Amino acid sequence: MIPAFNYVRPASLAAACAKLASSGTHAHAGGTDLLGCLRDGVFAADTVVSLSGIPDLRGVRKNLDGGLLIGAMTTLAEVAADPAVAAGYAALAEGALSAASPQLRNQGTLGGNVCQRPRCWYYRGDFHCARKGGDKCYAVKGENQFHCVFGGNVCFYVHPSDAAPALVALGATVRVTGKDGSRSIPAAQFFVGPETDYTRETVLAPGELVTEIVLPPQPPGTRSTYRKIRARGSWDFALAGAAAVVTVAGGRVTRAKIVLSGAAPVPWRVPEAERAVTGQRLTPQVVRKAAAAAVKGAEPLAENGYKLELLRGAVEEALLRLA
Amino acid sequence: MKTPELYFVDGALPETAAPEGDPQPWTRTRVVGKPLARIDGYERLSGAAVYPSDVVLPDMLYGAILRCPHAHAKVTRVDAGAAAKMPGVRAVITGATPAADLRWYYSRTVFTKLFDPLCRFAGEAVAAVAAETPQQAWDAVRAIVVEYDVLPFVVDEHKALEPGAAAVQGDDNRVGEPETYSRGDVAKGFAKADTVLEATYTTAAEIHTPMELHGCVASWDGPRLTIWESTQGVYPVQQRVAMLLGMPLANVRVIGRYMGGGFGSKLQADKYDLAAAVLAKLAARPVKLFLTREETFVCVGNRPPSTMRLKAGVKKDGTLTALEMSVLGTGGAYPAGGTSLVDWLVRDLYLCPNVRTEMTDVFINGGPSRAFRAPGHPQGAWALEQMMDALAAAIGMDPVELRRKNIPKVSQARGNQPYTTTGLDRCLAEGAAAFGWREAHRRPKGDGAVKRGVGMAAGLWIAGGGGPPSTIVVKLFADGSANLNMGASDLGTGTKTVMAMVVSEELGVPLEKIQIENADTGTTQYATASGGSKTVPTEAPAVRAAALAVKRQLFEIAGAELKVGAGALHIEGDEVVSASDPKVRRKIAELEGVQRRGLLIGVGTRGPNPEGKVVNPFVAQFCEVEVDTRTGEVRVLRFLSANDSGRVMDRLTYEGQVIGGITMGIGLGLTEQRVFDRQTGTMLNVNWHDYKIPTAMDVPAEIVSLPIDVPDDEANTAGAKGLGEPVTIPTAAAIANAVYDATGVRVTDAPISPMRLAPLLAAARRGGER
Amino acid sequence: MAHDHDDSDAEDPKGVSRRGFFTAVGAGAIGAATLAQAQPGAPTPAAPSDDPTKVTLLVNGRRRRLLVEPRWTLLFVLREKLGLTGTKVGCERGECGACTVLVDGVPCYACMTLALEAVGHEITTLEGLMRGEELGPVQQAFLIEDGLQCGYCTPGQVMAAEGLLRANPAPTLEEIRLGMSGNLCRCGAYAHIFKAVEKAAELKKAAGR
Ligand SMILES: Cc1cc2nc3c(=O)[nH]c(=O)nc-3n(C[C@H](O)[C@H](O)[C@H](O)COP(=O)(O)OP(=O)(O)OC[C@H]3O[C@@H](n4cnc5c(N)ncnc54)[C@H](O)[C@@H]3O)c2cc1C
Ligand code: SF4
Ligand code: FES
Ligand code: FES
Repeated sequence: MIPAFNYVRPASLAAACAKLASSGTHAHAGGTDLLGCLRDGVFAADTVVSLSGIPDLRGVRKNLDGGLLIGAMTTLAEVAADPAVAAGYAALAEGALSAASPQLRNQGTLGGNVCQRPRCWYYRGDFHCARKGGDKCYAVKGENQFHCVFGGNVCFYVHPSDAAPALVALGATVRVTGKDGSRSIPAAQFFVGPETDYTRETVLAPGELVTEIVLPPQPPGTRSTYRKIRARGSWDFALAGAAAVVTVAGGRVTRAKIVLSGAAPVPWRVPEAERAVTGQRLTPQVVRKAAAAAVKGAEPLAENGYKLELLRGAVEEALLRLA
Repeated sequence: MKTPELYFVDGALPETAAPEGDPQPWTRTRVVGKPLARIDGYERLSGAAVYPSDVVLPDMLYGAILRCPHAHAKVTRVDAGAAAKMPGVRAVITGATPAADLRWYYSRTVFTKLFDPLCRFAGEAVAAVAAETPQQAWDAVRAIVVEYDVLPFVVDEHKALEPGAAAVQGDDNRVGEPETYSRGDVAKGFAKADTVLEATYTTAAEIHTPMELHGCVASWDGPRLTIWESTQGVYPVQQRVAMLLGMPLANVRVIGRYMGGGFGSKLQADKYDLAAAVLAKLAARPVKLFLTREETFVCVGNRPPSTMRLKAGVKKDGTLTALEMSVLGTGGAYPAGGTSLVDWLVRDLYLCPNVRTEMTDVFINGGPSRAFRAPGHPQGAWALEQMMDALAAAIGMDPVELRRKNIPKVSQARGNQPYTTTGLDRCLAEGAAAFGWREAHRRPKGDGAVKRGVGMAAGLWIAGGGGPPSTIVVKLFADGSANLNMGASDLGTGTKTVMAMVVSEELGVPLEKIQIENADTGTTQYATASGGSKTVPTEAPAVRAAALAVKRQLFEIAGAELKVGAGALHIEGDEVVSASDPKVRRKIAELEGVQRRGLLIGVGTRGPNPEGKVVNPFVAQFCEVEVDTRTGEVRVLRFLSANDSGRVMDRLTYEGQVIGGITMGIGLGLTEQRVFDRQTGTMLNVNWHDYKIPTAMDVPAEIVSLPIDVPDDEANTAGAKGLGEPVTIPTAAAIANAVYDATGVRVTDAPISPMRLAPLLAAARRGGER
Repeated sequence: MAHDHDDSDAEDPKGVSRRGFFTAVGAGAIGAATLAQAQPGAPTPAAPSDDPTKVTLLVNGRRRRLLVEPRWTLLFVLREKLGLTGTKVGCERGECGACTVLVDGVPCYACMTLALEAVGHEITTLEGLMRGEELGPVQQAFLIEDGLQCGYCTPGQVMAAEGLLRANPAPTLEEIRLGMSGNLCRCGAYAHIFKAVEKAAELKKAAGR
């Protein structure tokens, strides 16, 4: 049951940012993640700042460079159903469509999706773990079947977003506004891994809001997809997944980006796998090699070794779809 | 623990006498057997049905319970001072509140307290609050300060038996002596076998999580207490609440006309009933106390996890020679039947002269189990039916054939008493034919990474014959419309519809003209809780007897008015008609005798079951799956369930039970699993995304229900046997067998998640490459 | 009943049946007409936690004025304050769908929607699908195909189906599955629910709505 909070619904971005600069405030986009966190007591909110009164944050527009601009308040359902997204950025459309449930996609926003908090069950539960300011990570010696195989350090959660891997793979940029102005951050640098700072998940400073996601135009011959593996068919975070973007010219891959989900505390790019396909035709053998390369260097915990099989499978099937 | 204990939680069962008039079996039915829509469908679909959680009373408060966060702890101090002063708070009760100093029992052998200082599992109740809003109640719960002496715990049933394990109930973590069963001589049996296989199978603990939360609304009217409860049985709730509050039964009225699912977890009263009653009393206001979803995972029951070692011997010709099983299970921190009935299928499903089983039930610091749809059976089927599959493969016999070779006509585990009817062979044969088993079994599994396979499994349910007591009242109004009064709850299985159909069958009243009053201890007849697939075979004969009692009166009246012997009359539509001369007829509404009396009342009871015979339903299920061998993802493509549950009552709700049981079995087989944190002993997946029940994406659209529609007239006067449990018994095992058929990998541990299957498939590939 | 709300000013042009929903008119048409009037009830920029805020919610075409606290969800308000218990509660964490309502015609979880966020939007609940005392086409289809057992998830299923069919009047089986994948049914009635949605599409088409 959610503890009491104050509620404000500013009518401008500037007002919202000003509000959010003070501690104890939390932005409310669709609320689907925020209300869950408040219910579970992951953190407390003194004031909830609704973003629903701010104009112009919702919708998909064509950018001057031929790419797309997606407002932070665009729902996942709108992202998934947008014809321009589906045509040019299939990995994102598929990622958005694979997230959560239809209703949550109708309510949850793209901005909220990339800013959602970890789904680690200790974090969401009654455990004062490292990420919450405690002195240990319960996953290390606990039930870590859903935790990371890459990038863990102090904290070992996996980034929950299905949209984020696609954004990273597609070279998206996150536009952010704070009380001191705006900045653009490449999606790959937007997420913060625990080796950098295990108490936060994004580079957002207090009072900063995501306003827009910028998708660059993709070179001709580019195709993308997102393969998600989960324990049940709906309402399930990725056990493992792979967003793959490849550009093919003359039957050979000229450029590839492969980003894993369910693998690491941030969307996890696997350059070795990308190299394994670059310059090659996407034959089953090449694809299998890339899949093997994708899990090189993984450091599974006691209970999550299975993820290596799944990640391999996800990469293999994602690439085969693009072959 | 045997079925009666599981389903009639509160001791000795009352009996009812055999009904008068010795009703003969139906030879032909006009209404029963049809696919009729639910009689209360309108209420459920319009929002007019008031479920207990929908009850909103004037001036009502909301209750919430503070629960122990530790797996094992002693409460040393509770300070509710600050909480009591918070806005909106109207009552706070703790172990130190005199009015809340009440006894409690999870099982009759161990009495504790409502707020016992010793918390043996995380989620045990410590205090409770009533406030103007639920939000305020929870604010207050958070503000109660509790000091705990945290004790060592054990949440793994294997570790519970190790030396030095934390003691849950005493020095020995075993719940009494192991339960053993033996017939014949297994050693000799194995010696005679051509093939002997042995394997260990496990199933995970499953949580019921019915859609409607557990809870109640309690309201006092002077010395009288009314409880609106989401329950499978209003009478068991009334009994326990009255007993523990020291009140006359007459002063405790429990109402549960609608309820949103139970699956065995709502057969009994819970601590929240007592808490709500005490809070309501202290605040002198009604209190609504429904658990949160998270709470329902920890303290209102579960299906115990099972570890089953099974050894089986078979001859080349498919004759089973011996079965030996040992089971380890846990019902949590109190005696709750942690291994109940897990061995039953091994004992009784197939003909086998030599059987030995041993079951060890241990305590852990976990929430107590409650009966869960076919207790023990799906677990036992997971082991036995996979073993049968493996035996069939080992001797090169078709799995259906192997089973058909071993069909018993008697219940071997019950002194060879004959079954009233057994449709097991027909379920297997006709199910296989309708499914296209032979062809499907032989089909290639596919060249690509995605393989297809088929699997099957069979089962029976130990109970499902129902029995006394049941008392029913049927009233026929002067215009020929009727009222049916019964105590039983309708869990969504269609009980009310089926019973109305029985009334309609006998009295010709269409369903639209039957009003049903049920599940209210204040106004309806005694009934046991609905569960154990016994409701139809229990209630339907009593309903029929009540309708027949009305009919006898009706025919007497009509006979006199039409000048025809009462025995020579029958009902056609809304008329009473002479059998010898169809022109002699009169509308029921026009019978003077009925008009004068205003109402005909018939009382019916449920008589005893046949002596020396066993009434069980049988089932065989067939399925097809697709397995992505790279990722271990399993998709269930189609299912067929052939059921012998006696007479089909309502063909539509019958099919509903079948698809529901299979869906639940898919959960056991593929997705569901309780996870305890080994460091703290608390359950981690206390919500519906971490605890994964099947969604619309996880079930096949094609689920065929094939009834083997043989009325069991010897069992009872409705000819029906239970259905709700058998439909979920073989499902998970059938899926496991299909996965094996598709991939050659046998998964002996449930659930078969990608997490488990992908590494097994990879290992098999590596093995194959070598 | 709760004394902190009133709907006395809910002028009702088309007649309200006893459970408080419109007869014979789809909520869509009326909702659009009344939405503008609902706007003045939009929350004042700040709603303090302990001081209830006066809001107007547009539910099933009716304007309902009441006091809410910021943390109250639409689900809580519908069930416990407005007596609209057709909307059910299964988890209050966005994990079951029992609380599904339409917000501007789109299925959403009422438990994941703050009442303050619902202001200015057209809310439709199960009760709003009734035509007077008669079941609407989706409800009828669930009855015919027995797309329910205990019936507790059913209002949410019906609302999800209604939303799905408004967006896609003739869905394929796979689209139905996906569209209904935000509603758990522990009784496991899915296979019948799929049939019910197919039937609902037919009935809606036949009824021209
Ligand atoms: C049961 C369940 C299952 C789910 N399954 C999946 C899944 O499989 N895959 C998946 O990807 N996701 C899943 N989700 C997460 C879901 O997609 C997110 O909750 C949703 O996208 C968040 O969007 P929102 O608008 O509701 O965010 P909110 O809840 O409003 O916000 C989320 C967080 O981001 C912050 N925030 C929101 N908007 C901004 C902004 N513009 N700038 C800065 N900060 C902001 C908020 O302060 C908050 O901390 C699931 C959620 C639930 C409840
Ligand atoms: S993985 Fe991170 S969030 Fe989870 S328990 Fe460890 S520190 Fe906390
Ligand atoms: S109650 Fe809203 S999704 Fe469960
Ligand atoms: S009908 Fe019971 S949960 Fe769906």
